[in-house]
Amino acid sequence: MYLEPARKHRIPKDNTSIGMRLALLGLVIVVLFCVLGFRLWFLQVLSGDQYVSLADNNRVRSVSIEAPRGVIYDRNGVPLVGNRPGLSVGVLPMDLRDEENVVARLAEVLEMPLDELMEKVEKAKLDPYRVTVVAEDVPEVPTVAYLKEHSLEFPGVRVEKTSLRSYSRPAFATHVLGYVGEVSEKDLTLEEFRALKAGDKVGKDGVERTYDSFLRGSEGYREVEVDAMGRPKRVIQYQKPLPGNNIVLTIDYDLQEAAERAIQEGITRAQEDGFENAAAGVVVAMNPHNGEILAMASYPDYDLSVWVGGMSKADMEQLTAEEAKFPFLNRAIKGQYPPGSTFKPFVAAGALNNNLVQWDTRIFCGPTFRIGEQVWRDWKEEGHGEVNLVEALMVSADVYFYTLAEMFYDQNYPMLQEEVRRFGFGRVTGIDLPGEDVGRVPDKDWKSIVGKTAEERIWRPGDEVNLSIGQGYMLSTPLQLVVALSAIANGGKVIVPHVAKQITDSSGNVINKLEPVVRQELDIAFEDLSRIQWGLHLVTSEVGGTARAAFKGFPIEVAGKTGTAEKKPEDDYAWFFGYAPVDDPEIVVVALVEQGGHGSSVAAPMVRRVMEAYFGVEAGELSGIQITE
Amino acid sequence: MILERAERRRPLGMTVGDYLRSLDWVLLAATLALAVFGIIMIYSATRADPGLPSSTHYVRQQGLGLGLGLVLLVLLSVIDYRRYISWQKYLYVAMILLLGLTLIIGRGPEGTRRWLDLPFFDIQSSEVAKVLLIVTLAAFLSEGIELRQRFRFVMLAVGYVLLPAALVFLEPDLGTALVFFAILMCMLLVWGIRWRHVGFLAIAAAGVFTVVFRVLPSLGMSLLKDYQIARLTVFLNPESDPTGFGYQVVQSKIAVASGMYTGKGLMQGTQTRLNFLPTHHTDFIFAVVGEELGFLGAVVLLGLFAVVVWRAIRIAGRAADLYGTLICVGVIGFIAFQVFVNVGMALGIMPVTGLPLPFMSAGASSLVVFFMAVGLLESVQVRASLGT
Repeated sequence: MYLEPARKHRIPKDNTSIGMRLALLGLVIVVLFCVLGFRLWFLQVLSGDQYVSLADNNRVRSVSIEAPRGVIYDRNGVPLVGNRPGLSVGVLPMDLRDEENVVARLAEVLEMPLDELMEKVEKAKLDPYRVTVVAEDVPEVPTVAYLKEHSLEFPGVRVEKTSLRSYSRPAFATHVLGYVGEVSEKDLTLEEFRALKAGDKVGKDGVERTYDSFLRGSEGYREVEVDAMGRPKRVIQYQKPLPGNNIVLTIDYDLQEAAERAIQEGITRAQEDGFENAAAGVVVAMNPHNGEILAMASYPDYDLSVWVGGMSKADMEQLTAEEAKFPFLNRAIKGQYPPGSTFKPFVAAGALNNNLVQWDTRIFCGPTFRIGEQVWRDWKEEGHGEVNLVEALMVSADVYFYTLAEMFYDQNYPMLQEEVRRFGFGRVTGIDLPGEDVGRVPDKDWKSIVGKTAEERIWRPGDEVNLSIGQGYMLSTPLQLVVALSAIANGGKVIVPHVAKQITDSSGNVINKLEPVVRQELDIAFEDLSRIQWGLHLVTSEVGGTARAAFKGFPIEVAGKTGTAEKKPEDDYAWFFGYAPVDDPEIVVVALVEQGGHGSSVAAPMVRRVMEAYFGVEAGELSGIQITE
Repeated sequence: MILERAERRRPLGMTVGDYLRSLDWVLLAATLALAVFGIIMIYSATRADPGLPSSTHYVRQQGLGLGLGLVLLVLLSVIDYRRYISWQKYLYVAMILLLGLTLIIGRGPEGTRRWLDLPFFDIQSSEVAKVLLIVTLAAFLSEGIELRQRFRFVMLAVGYVLLPAALVFLEPDLGTALVFFAILMCMLLVWGIRWRHVGFLAIAAAGVFTVVFRVLPSLGMSLLKDYQIARLTVFLNPESDPTGFGYQVVQSKIAVASGMYTGKGLMQGTQTRLNFLPTHHTDFIFAVVGEELGFLGAVVLLGLFAVVVWRAIRIAGRAADLYGTLICVGVIGFIAFQVFVNVGMALGIMPVTGLPLPFMSAGASSLVVFFMAVGLLESVQVRASLGT
């Protein structure tokens, strides 16, 4: 009974193939196992390396740590630009999940327009394994605190510590210092920025730009192991950032302050004179022997800290509006103006150098000057009578220079142009600031190219006449005038101006010192130069000198020249430049007020103020100066 | 009379010494090695998991499963498997009731119904059903051995499996439903199905496949849910959806392949430890082996499975009767299919079906059932070598 079921289910005798069928089953299983084994071999042995890097990409996050930029000091070690710690928010595209939602919420938290953020995220995706900053200088409370509290709801969003630019004083030396911003795509193609990647910060203007490679330092990084939620687990590697080198400028803090104040005062005075359009001005001060820029002020200026953390749209709109008068523009090197009568000393030097006249050649200067039908008037209605060259400089006698222009025109080559170009007009001065303009010294060739009609392509005596008093097509930057006047003051050396004095490392050791560079020695006789200097000295010291009133009571002897440049249909531009002391010049200063009216009453007092600050002289009373030119 | 006395002295028909001598110790050693291997890997994988009550949470559960499994293994190996023949109908009905009950009162993640809540532990009824199906289907087929020529009987056998498979499919647990058919196919093969019947079945299967995947969806009805279809097909190109359905497959491949020859070392797998590899202690335990122990460890693991299959085939060939052979074949189909599907999934050559790796994946139900299956093998082995 017990064995019956077994018998019933005994393997039938006819079925001898059961062993074969078992073997077949075994074979199928062997084949399947071989498939698995082969696949394993393919993955682990043949492609292992490639997957190891995929696994590392999963877990290793490299975060770069920005190096603090170098500090910028004035010549006496007063810090002008430093750093402060800040927080930035970045995205790591490869950790971004549910992107649409996260980005929308992030935009809300950062109070940033959604399309602006989306654009930044799209850019960040070009480098998915790196954190790209989308918002800088984010407030700790409430923004960062919120993000940290809800970090799991913001996968791929990172908060990083950064160092941000901080300025010792708002709107001070704005154009010399320049600012820092995200490197542009165009800049990335430049050799000097080759080591950078999108999103890095670089100097955009001023010293920040010129000396960017020194200031930048080299960034460090932190390699962190993260889990699948992106939470950091441990630090794998840490490389400390190397702070950038510091720059010591040639700028003098106090003098810069005086220069900026002088512009304000000049504009106010111009408006009191009735020139209501006066709103912009320039003051530059330089050591004529070594080219050190002691002060460089351009107005309007603006507070550089608007760039920190990215400029807001509102700020940008306000600063680029027409009423703002282009505050980004460094007028000292990019403003191109007719120099007016300040150009006369260089014309006079050219005339003496070529013996067109002698210093004591007397020419009658009536109220008008005539070539054919054309009539030019002197600035002084009644004229100056008979004057020599030195007196002509002193009283700024236009007719004397018109007469010289006629003589220059009669030469068989552009003599006047060649003479003034040697002083540096028509070419960049070579200052260590970006974007300098060249100005223009017009001549026959130039006019034959730019003239629209055949008439306009001819260089006429009238063009030469206009040029002789720094009008017409002539354009100069304020800095070019400083350099040219320095050549007269220092005995004929055209010097390359510079704003950086030396570069020091983060512990203060000097690693680079900028030596003065003389670009050209003028081949002008000492006697000729001293006649010019004499004439310029008389401007401030002799009865009838155009700037005598402005320098009344100033204890140090000053040589200079006023200028009142016409730029129709605008109001006249007020110029003055000068140097002091006359015997041993230490400083050259130029001042300009756009549409400020008269050089004698507006610009000359500005130069006096700067010189007062430089020599430590008590400020003199300057109200009610008689307008001479 | 002598026999009766002997029966009294030996209620199981053998002495303890006979029993121990006739056991397949190689099979036992291989399965135990797999279970211990599994526990080590589970510890390595879950040690640092966030949100666990303790670092040995899963290890202890698995240890309990191993203990219970060993008890049931011994119990099933001592019981003469031939008794189940007469219990066939009851066991089959019990299986259907168990699956049906699970569909009504069962629990599971995201609205599925897979587990039954029992006072002390949960039971995954589809796992238990696998053993019940092996025992009953083998009986059904061996009783109908004379009807092999009849395609109608073959169809009946298919229907015999189709009913429980349908219930499991509704839980839904597609993977286990497929295991049922794998068991059926292996048994039919060894049972001696006619080749032309195989052809008919293949045509029928192709027809069903077409209806399920092509015709019904085009009519707006779908037996498979969208996520099931997505999971079934994404393995062909997981990189097309690396953060969605393809995520598991992509991460699993990275885990395995980055292990290279000798692996990153126990508890050193970055994919596992940092949770890039999801369900690393259950469905993707093989990927943990691949990552931490490398090609060598994975081959050793596959080798252990090969030993289990080899011993099972050996027992099937030596079985005292067709029923015993078919039980062994069912167990072979059960184990081999799950190994292939699970490992294939981890290697990105099979769809993600959620089938556990035999003896290794964390989950007490599954572990106990595999040990019960080994108990069945040992039962067949013991009867064969005792010649009773």
